[in-house]
Amino acid sequence: MARFANGKAPFLRKADEKTYGTQVIMRDFLIGLLPLIGFAWYKNGIKVYIEGNATFLEMFYPIIFIILGGIISMIIEGLFFIITDKEIRSFKSLMNRLSLSYAMIPGILLAMILPLYTPIWVLIFGCIMATLVAKLLFGGFGYNIFNPALIGYAAIAFTLMGVINRAGGALNGSEVLVDAIAGATPLSTLSTTNILSYQTLVAPYGSLWNFFIGTIPGALAETSALACIISFVWLSARKVIKWFVPVIYIGTVFILSWLIGIISGQTGIWFPTYSILSGGLMFGAIFMATEPVTTPKNPLGKMVFALFLGVFTVLFRFVGQYPEGVATSIIFMNIFSMPIDKWTGVIRTEGVTKKTIIKIVILVILIIAIAAYALFKASSIYTATIELPLIMRGWN
Amino acid sequence: MILHKAKGTRIEGKKSMSKALPLHEYLNPPFVFIPLLQQATPLKRIVEIGDKVAIGQVVALREGFGAMPIHASVSGTVTAIKKVWHASGRMVEAIEIQNDNQNRMDESIRVQTDISLLSRNDLIAKMQQAGLSGLGGAGFPTYIKYQTKCPIDVVIINAVECEPYITCDFMLINAYPEKLLKGLSYLMRAADAKKGVIAFKTYNTDIKKNLEPLLVNYPGIELYEVKDIYPAGWEKYIVQKITKKTYAGLPAEAGAIVDNSATAIVFADVVAENIPLISRVITISGEGIKNPQNFFVPLGTPVKELIQLAGGYVESLNPMKAWYIAGGPMTGRAILIDELVVNDTLGSVIVKPMPDEKHHPACLGCGKCADACPVYLTPTEIQRALESKDSQAIKELNAQKCMQCGLCSYVCPSHIEISDYVAKAKELLRKGA
Repeated sequence: MARFANGKAPFLRKADEKTYGTQVIMRDFLIGLLPLIGFAWYKNGIKVYIEGNATFLEMFYPIIFIILGGIISMIIEGLFFIITDKEIRSFKSLMNRLSLSYAMIPGILLAMILPLYTPIWVLIFGCIMATLVAKLLFGGFGYNIFNPALIGYAAIAFTLMGVINRAGGALNGSEVLVDAIAGATPLSTLSTTNILSYQTLVAPYGSLWNFFIGTIPGALAETSALACIISFVWLSARKVIKWFVPVIYIGTVFILSWLIGIISGQTGIWFPTYSILSGGLMFGAIFMATEPVTTPKNPLGKMVFALFLGVFTVLFRFVGQYPEGVATSIIFMNIFSMPIDKWTGVIRTEGVTKKTIIKIVILVILIIAIAAYALFKASSIYTATIELPLIMRGWN
Repeated sequence: MILHKAKGTRIEGKKSMSKALPLHEYLNPPFVFIPLLQQATPLKRIVEIGDKVAIGQVVALREGFGAMPIHASVSGTVTAIKKVWHASGRMVEAIEIQNDNQNRMDESIRVQTDISLLSRNDLIAKMQQAGLSGLGGAGFPTYIKYQTKCPIDVVIINAVECEPYITCDFMLINAYPEKLLKGLSYLMRAADAKKGVIAFKTYNTDIKKNLEPLLVNYPGIELYEVKDIYPAGWEKYIVQKITKKTYAGLPAEAGAIVDNSATAIVFADVVAENIPLISRVITISGEGIKNPQNFFVPLGTPVKELIQLAGGYVESLNPMKAWYIAGGPMTGRAILIDELVVNDTLGSVIVKPMPDEKHHPACLGCGKCADACPVYLTPTEIQRALESKDSQAIKELNAQKCMQCGLCSYVCPSHIEISDYVAKAKELLRKGA
């Protein structure tokens, strides 16, 4: 007679495999960031150095800045655990705890969406807001309601943007020298001029191809759509994110931007393309809108969430005069993850029945109403300049 | 609809472990223990200590719903009434019969000569007299299913065996392919169905090879291959695939009756020779067993003897760090003491060392549980509703639809007992209702 251990079915767990589990998901997520970090280094470091506008040491600054973000976050979380958690007695148990709460991720993400010349103390402030306020005070990894990195970003954006701009802002050593750019990112140009014109919105930065590659001014690591798409393919293939979330989000923004263009008299396909390639939309859609903790859990909920994000981003971007929209809409929608999850959980299992039809109708009406409002308002704000034929340009 | 396509998850089968050795017949254990429990119903014992019993003699009765007799599986003497471990995870009373190795048959066991004259009701009465129950694991009395008022178009034999490790149906079918077809043709007559379908997994090419040449003699019977996913052996899944109809309660609503392949094979003997349900095949497998294999045994055989016949436990096995699972690894139960006896619902015993303990992070909300759920539940939401004791929300989230396949816990990257939460939520609903 032998006594055996107790256990609960199922006795097979995929998480027992070495190649599966939350650790692996997080590792894959970090690997997914590499194309962007690599591009950020190329654009703001290597390229500037080659053009002779940065010293050799300055070339490494973008990488150091991103790593610094991760380290600061880890230190903050480590200190928090030392102060609050009685079970942490040794360095080893502290590191163990930190590895289970993925402390470095908010800091890395935050550093990636800040301008290049953000002073380090501003980064520290952002990391405190991200890690301490948005994550740890909510209960730590798995319990936070808002996306930590975006809360850090929002806190900086609302209070310290002036400091960042005085310190050098988003423009790297080479971009500063280009007159046409005049210290503005593509979206801020749009919000100051209110004119949908290829000449003022795209031409100063070269062409839309530059938008796609990412050689336009903007935050440190979010400008390259190409790098984002590479990450997107990797993360989807590794099943870290659901492929349809970014697709629905970006697709909604594309269609609504196109409609705004058409209403304003600008029918070109360049405008919606410009819209989805600027302002960190790609980055937000792939890394922030898919963040598992703060978004709905079930697939239908994720779809609804992404749709709302698209609609709100357009609303905030084109109607609100704040030239972003992505961060605000994601933070705003984070609040509604839980109710969306609850509703879509019911809709998903029930299908379209008498019990769920009211919920479905309310969701659909909400989305359509917000989208219609955004279109209506935007059409009264923006005008399009009709580009004159080349031959007439010299005359006026 | 994109949201409701049939789906499942691929799980490594580990079936080759117990397929390597042939089916081992072990017909005369020194003692058998007939548990006085069928499904969750206690049985009424009708023999006393000291009584002589023959194979097939009635020793206990199930009364009330699903009333039927339970038979002695060996011939010999009733020596004691004692408690044994049962697959339900509890100790239950059992009739201990000492085997006299004479294999005396009860007079009720005789060759049936007029099989072709038996009517539908005769066949159903035979099921009841034979104490035939579902051998797939639920143990539901078979004759109840055939008493349905709904018109039945098709009898489906579930030979899918979607859980890992288990190969008992596979071995039995390959040993008795002819009997399976015969049993199915009788079942079709018992249901007045024109069509019979045998569903099995695509990789089980042996089943196809053995059955296909015999099909010519059995008009109306076809084979049906299902994908190698879990839970492809789920009754609803198979019925939906084959009949293209859906149903809420019982498969009969969709014009189908589903039976396990072992049940059909036993029924072939029930009809032809009036041999009641007294034996079954059981898989003894898992990394903790030296020579995993399948045994053909009388009901009531102690599993311990089978494990010894299978070479015993591997030397490195530390029982305190291993599971002894009654049933499959996905839905089975951990038994704490290895004194289990074979009953009608026990298809396998898996002995499996526990994986190394790891620290797991909190739920990160990846939603893989909701993705994997075959009935499209959102387990995380059910857990949340359970924690706030919100039975209204649990009901809205359809927790009662859960069939406890265990996939949500299986796919959880943070090793959370999420299926346990759903089971508890289901329990809360049942108590509340």
